[in-house]
Amino acid sequence: MTDAPALAVEDIVAGYGGVPVLDGVSVSARPGTITAVLGANGAGKTTLLRAISGFVRPRSGRVLVGDTDLARRRPEDIARAGVAHVPEGQGVITELTVEENLRVGALATRDRAGRVAALNDAYRRFPLLAERKRRPAATLSGGERQILVIARALMSAPRVLLLDEPSLGLAPRMVTQVMELIRQLRDDVGLTVLLVEQNARSALGIADTGLVLNLGKVVAEAEASTLAADVGLRRHYLGF
Amino acid sequence: MQEFLEFTLGGIAVGMIYAAVALSLVLIWRGTRVLNYSQGGMAMFTTYIAWVVIRHTGNYWLGFVVALAAGLVLGAVLERTVVRPTEGKGPLNSVIVTIGLLILIEGVAGIIFGGQYRSFPPAFSVTGLKIGSVALGISPTDVFTAVAVLGAAVLLALVFRFTAVGLRLRATAFSQNVARLLGVRIGRVLTLGWALAGLFGALAGVLVTPSTFLYPNSMDAIFVLGFTAAVIGGLDSPVGAVVGGVLLGVILSYAGGYIGSELVLVYGLVILALVLMIRPEGLFSAAKTRRV
Repeated sequence: MTDAPALAVEDIVAGYGGVPVLDGVSVSARPGTITAVLGANGAGKTTLLRAISGFVRPRSGRVLVGDTDLARRRPEDIARAGVAHVPEGQGVITELTVEENLRVGALATRDRAGRVAALNDAYRRFPLLAERKRRPAATLSGGERQILVIARALMSAPRVLLLDEPSLGLAPRMVTQVMELIRQLRDDVGLTVLLVEQNARSALGIADTGLVLNLGKVVAEAEASTLAADVGLRRHYLGF
Repeated sequence: MQEFLEFTLGGIAVGMIYAAVALSLVLIWRGTRVLNYSQGGMAMFTTYIAWVVIRHTGNYWLGFVVALAAGLVLGAVLERTVVRPTEGKGPLNSVIVTIGLLILIEGVAGIIFGGQYRSFPPAFSVTGLKIGSVALGISPTDVFTAVAVLGAAVLLALVFRFTAVGLRLRATAFSQNVARLLGVRIGRVLTLGWALAGLFGALAGVLVTPSTFLYPNSMDAIFVLGFTAAVIGGLDSPVGAVVGGVLLGVILSYAGGYIGSELVLVYGLVILALVLMIRPEGLFSAAKTRRV
């Protein structure tokens, strides 16, 4: 197992308009790990993911995937470099079918044989999607859509998966299922995951490391179990 | 009864022209929310190019094909150079730019080709067809017009549905940001959308110009009616564009035939105003809020 991080964010300053939302944030994720990004609303968690995936242009700092600095590139180029971002609100293309949504995921990065293989893999791993493949994506429930967009993100065989609030709006049982799915992806595929979550308890339950953002800065960074055990930290920043 | 048949069939034939223009507008609108006011001008210009080729080679079909190719190229070039900088900057910018383009193209056409009305050959004969002794009111050229536009529209629909390129076009049209997140190079997709729009505009141009004659403003009225057809069908819907075009063609044919044909454009504008007042979203678009 290599020591070099799969994803290294160095000192990112980014924001919308005048005030920077991220004020010098650094994250390092070892390959095949889940890093939980936690903190209150407005702490900058979503902005961090967008700065990595290119929807927010960092004013300074680097985003390294492997050896390449992806900061300030266009979102589609960053996606092609192996960074898959599942945004808050899921981003299901409701006018397309389930299968078409999946196929779009593979368009950019796989050749024809790869696309077929990726689709078969997706149906094997997510039989729920196979059953619904021709249905308009709009007919899926919230939990099913979350599975769809994760499966879609995997179609490109990404090196890094950015998940923004996958538990949002889901019933508790679905939340458990989705978290379990993410854990399996790390275990089976060796995927490196950055997991932004309001639901800190669920996130720390599957994560290897965690970091806590507050007002645009990292206020804590440790092994997940350490964070979960720190009652003061939990109460202060994480709400449990 | 004979009149009714003639007006109906004639209306369908002309309606296909409006449908082709409407399709070009929908292709661009769906992907970019830009209304391409220069669509008619582009079509006029590619028809001039066909005219030059036909004059020099005597070969109609060569001119036809060159016009379509020129439409593709012109659409792609205009998107990449002039329209791209307006993307994401607010609707007024693209409106000003495309209107400016229209003025520019018509001016350039006037300078290069002169303003006089030129005749442009039809694809086939323009003698009315008859079944037995019943005059149908349409000619072989009209039949070709309908078949060509319908064929192109069906081909487009097949491309959309069954190819990777079509999937990219649709994904970009429905959800540009999600498409980018998935690695789709939307710049290229948007250029392709404009190229296809240019193609359909060029098709409309060569099919209609035999009856309008060729001059720098020859496509202005057709553009307005094509736009009306697109609005009737719902600017988001390619099917709507074709249906809207045929519907408009037939209605205007009846109006022109039974009321008086000098005011066809006025009838068209009246219909546009009515549609915008009564059902501005058109027949085929489900009005929905779009979030990215």
